[in-house]
Amino acid sequence: MDLNEPERAAGGGKTEQPEAGGKVRKFASRGKVLIGAVLAVTVVSGLYLVNRYWIAPALRTQAMSGGDHPGAPPVSLTDIGGKKLDLADYKGKVVVLDFWATWCEPCRIEIPGLVEMQDKYAKQGFSVIGISLDDEPGPVVEFYKEFKMNYPVAVGNQRVGELYGGIFGLPTTFLIGRDGRIYAKHTGATSPAVIEDEVQQLLAMSPTAENMGFRPGMAAGTSTKIELGDPAAIDSEIPGLNLTKLTATQKESLKKQLGELKCPCGCNLPVLKCRQVDRACRVSLKMAQAEMEKVLKSGV
Amino acid sequence: MIPVVRACRDVKFKGTMMKRPKLNMKTFFFTCIFVCLAAPVAWAQTPGQVVKAKVAMASPVARPNSIVRAAVVVEVVPGYHINDHHPSLEYLIPTEVKLEPNPQVTVKDITYPKGEPKKFAFSDAPLSVYEGTVRVDVALQLERKTPPGNYEVKGQLAYQACNDHACLPPASVPLLFSFKVVGRGAPARGSQ
Repeated sequence: MDLNEPERAAGGGKTEQPEAGGKVRKFASRGKVLIGAVLAVTVVSGLYLVNRYWIAPALRTQAMSGGDHPGAPPVSLTDIGGKKLDLADYKGKVVVLDFWATWCEPCRIEIPGLVEMQDKYAKQGFSVIGISLDDEPGPVVEFYKEFKMNYPVAVGNQRVGELYGGIFGLPTTFLIGRDGRIYAKHTGATSPAVIEDEVQQLLAMSPTAENMGFRPGMAAGTSTKIELGDPAAIDSEIPGLNLTKLTATQKESLKKQLGELKCPCGCNLPVLKCRQVDRACRVSLKMAQAEMEKVLKSGV
Repeated sequence: MIPVVRACRDVKFKGTMMKRPKLNMKTFFFTCIFVCLAAPVAWAQTPGQVVKAKVAMASPVARPNSIVRAAVVVEVVPGYHINDHHPSLEYLIPTEVKLEPNPQVTVKDITYPKGEPKKFAFSDAPLSVYEGTVRVDVALQLERKTPPGNYEVKGQLAYQACNDHACLPPASVPLLFSFKVVGRGAPARGSQ
């Protein structure tokens, strides 16, 4: 306890006067603030870097290798040659499922590497499957010939993209093991060496059990968490919302509310209309999810 | 701003001679940890809308047979770019202002800015792109016999955005050009 405290209290409203050495103290005080600021910046930067390059990758690897490998959602399309393309037919093979488009420059850079990999590993039970997000097959067919693609390619649809958690950036590449599970997801142009390393790991692993020892390549910094879409939410009348928990009254109430709320994404539409017109809009999705939570909590 | 801040500091710490609040090390330490852990989460978020666009009318009032001028102000989120209206490569999707047909209005001219050549990790040659804020000028020709009243011309800004390692699917932002047409006798500032 400070023994001067009672005296100060007895002094009432009396204030201290500045001392002669005030200037020195002022400089000393500024120096402390400066040192404090430098220290703060150093500590924050240091912790950030440690977290980014050490803790986060370790946690991600741990999460990925801890049984967090979901089964690949079904893909059933017609390829650009008119043949049926069904992912189920590839069970027992290692598959690189590549979402791409002809207008996507990073995709064009990545594809020759995939063509090379198909050549190199096809005999070991490996295949690349390309799903183009172009609107029409015409440019895809031209591209296929120009780039001498040697693996099946189909023009995808929104549903396939949503089943795979929504394709928010191209290229997006999924690494699927022989057991039909997704082991890695890369968004953006990824070094062929990273994908090849993952393919080699998957080719060497058990075709029946989940491969806990798989280590996704982190070097490229494009490895992302695998989050798949909920079919009930994808096929919902309010796209993105799983309405199965709502009663008929709650559904109507939610639709009414979302029909009145304006979406701030810039579309000038009510949230309900925005969800229906632009399924990829994350702004309307978040608002709709929040409103659904309110309706569920209200219990009405 | 600086004098105000100084005056405020003087009042607080000099005039009344209050003690400077001491830096609580515990608070400082936990703040640092919070900032470090929160920052990557915030930076990792996928942007909802990477392009915003708004219409600025040169004048809200126009006369029949005149030209209505407007600017479409496009804002591209930092870190992303959209293609030039005349992209460097034929397969790239151009940025384009598209207007819905209107019996009283015809599109006289749409002027796009020149893109900036930029080299990306994924491209061998520089690509002509738009970044930051860009402006597209639109000129609409009103028909000679346009009746007075309020008019709205709908349209959209179509674009395809990428950052330096991935591309987003093509998207569009709705545009609305609103103006009032007045008779020949009424004032119509800004129209030609």
